Amino acid sequence: MTRSGYVFIAPLLLLMIAAFNVPLLYMLGIGFWAKGGGFTTEHYEALANAPVYLRVLAGTVRVSLISTLANVALGYPLAYWMRGLSPKGQLIAVALVITPFWISVLVRTYAWIVVLGNAGVVNTGLLWLGVIDEPIRFLYNEVGVTIGMANVLLPFLVLPLFAAMLRIDNRLLQAAASLGAPPRTIFWKVFFPLTVPALGAGALMVFILSLGFYVTPAILGGNRVTMISNLLDKLINEIPRWEQASALSTLLLLFTLAVFAIYRALDRKSAA
Amino acid sequence: MSGQGAWSRRLIAFVGIVALGFLVLPLLVVVPMSFSSAKALTFPPPGYSLRWYETFFGDSRWMEAMWVSTTVAALSSVLALVLGGLAAYGLRRFTVRGQGAVEANFIAPLVVPAVIVAVALYLGFAKVGLLGTYLGLVLAHTVLSVPLVIMVLGVAIRSFDVRIEQVSWSLGASWFRTMRSVVLPNLAPSVFAAWIFAFISSFDEVIVTNFIAGAYETVPKRMFNELILEINPTITAVATLLIAFTMLALAAVAVMLHRAGRLKDTML
Repeated sequence: MTRSGYVFIAPLLLLMIAAFNVPLLYMLGIGFWAKGGGFTTEHYEALANAPVYLRVLAGTVRVSLISTLANVALGYPLAYWMRGLSPKGQLIAVALVITPFWISVLVRTYAWIVVLGNAGVVNTGLLWLGVIDEPIRFLYNEVGVTIGMANVLLPFLVLPLFAAMLRIDNRLLQAAASLGAPPRTIFWKVFFPLTVPALGAGALMVFILSLGFYVTPAILGGNRVTMISNLLDKLINEIPRWEQASALSTLLLLFTLAVFAIYRALDRKSAA
Repeated sequence: MSGQGAWSRRLIAFVGIVALGFLVLPLLVVVPMSFSSAKALTFPPPGYSLRWYETFFGDSRWMEAMWVSTTVAALSSVLALVLGGLAAYGLRRFTVRGQGAVEANFIAPLVVPAVIVAVALYLGFAKVGLLGTYLGLVLAHTVLSVPLVIMVLGVAIRSFDVRIEQVSWSLGASWFRTMRSVVLPNLAPSVFAAWIFAFISSFDEVIVTNFIAGAYETVPKRMFNELILEINPTITAVATLLIAFTMLALAAVAVMLHRAGRLKDTML
């Protein structure tokens, strides 16, 4: 049986090895390849010694963390609220969460230019209300990038979290109530702890995806907010420095895989 | 939850509605903007017209990009569907050595940040002369669509009772006949869903395309590069067309899966 299974798998496996695994390994190799030939760590040392790389790295982690926190602050109440809706209400809410999830990141990012621009919906509204005297600059800084990223990533947190909340047995909550626990205690001592693995897994997923974000910082950040991906774009397409691009990609890949391993552990726990 | 304080319930409902509004706000703004008669991006638009749609359909470069996007998405989604479908079948119906590793490898393009895939494919394709070629573009898009196909069809094949296939064999049907007359008709809604997902993911792809496409322009690549240079209202028309196309495709998937009673486990 083993051999016949591979008859089905082999075509895709060959394609993946040729057009995914080998290019990735080749990239890892370039990062350790010296100009004259042979092994070297000089490209990594160059990364560590250049302040611009460290600044971009710190900026990427900061923007990613803030987007993740914003996602948790909005996503948890949303999922919790959805759990209490009627089945029909839940269906509509899930549809509203899923639809943007499938619509091009480019389209959703672009829309924020219209919403957040100086003559955009938000500034027009605030000016009209008299809250502000001149438009707030949301675009081409970290604020705009963070809002755009939080918007794109919210479904990745809400969908698994909502699914996990649906799995929680209502009888547990009723048991706590029948033993005289007030609602606040039931929520914090029973409900919330049961959702922590799913919340953690969702938040890590959002964080991983933020680290590699490319479109949103490029469009909403102008040239002022550079994340790792945009730096990689420059290192490949503008000032060809392939070795440093490879080294930087390798670091980002390792970091992503490490966070992903934690995600997998949490995700298994939340599914159990 | 029953008996929870009315105040905190209201607060949660409020945040929930705000979050939903935050999610759909961009879509609600872009659509009316695309019918604006003005060049400036003011909302609400001062008047309505179809001028941005006329600009889009009258521009040969946009039409060329549309052609490239559509053909690349069609080829790569079918390739991902055929190869991914066979692989998902092999993974679910047989015991394969190194099953976990093989499956992880198929899902990996979804986990590895797209920009890293872009860098790796740029370097690898440059080495073998695939950089800037149509074939390279199709192969890259296929690799990126594979995880979606494997996930959707993996679930579908697992929940399709293997004994139904065995009955077909025991009645003397060939493997090919069993596939065509028993397995595929039963899996049709999921196959359709997987194909649409793969098509959309290719049609929307921008990062890897931007790195490796060379002189080829797809719709998202053109949009992205225009957006970085200047704000051009034609993009609102393109965005609205993409939204309409995606919603129609998703609606078709939802109807098919709902009829087959498989909506919930594919979507969540």
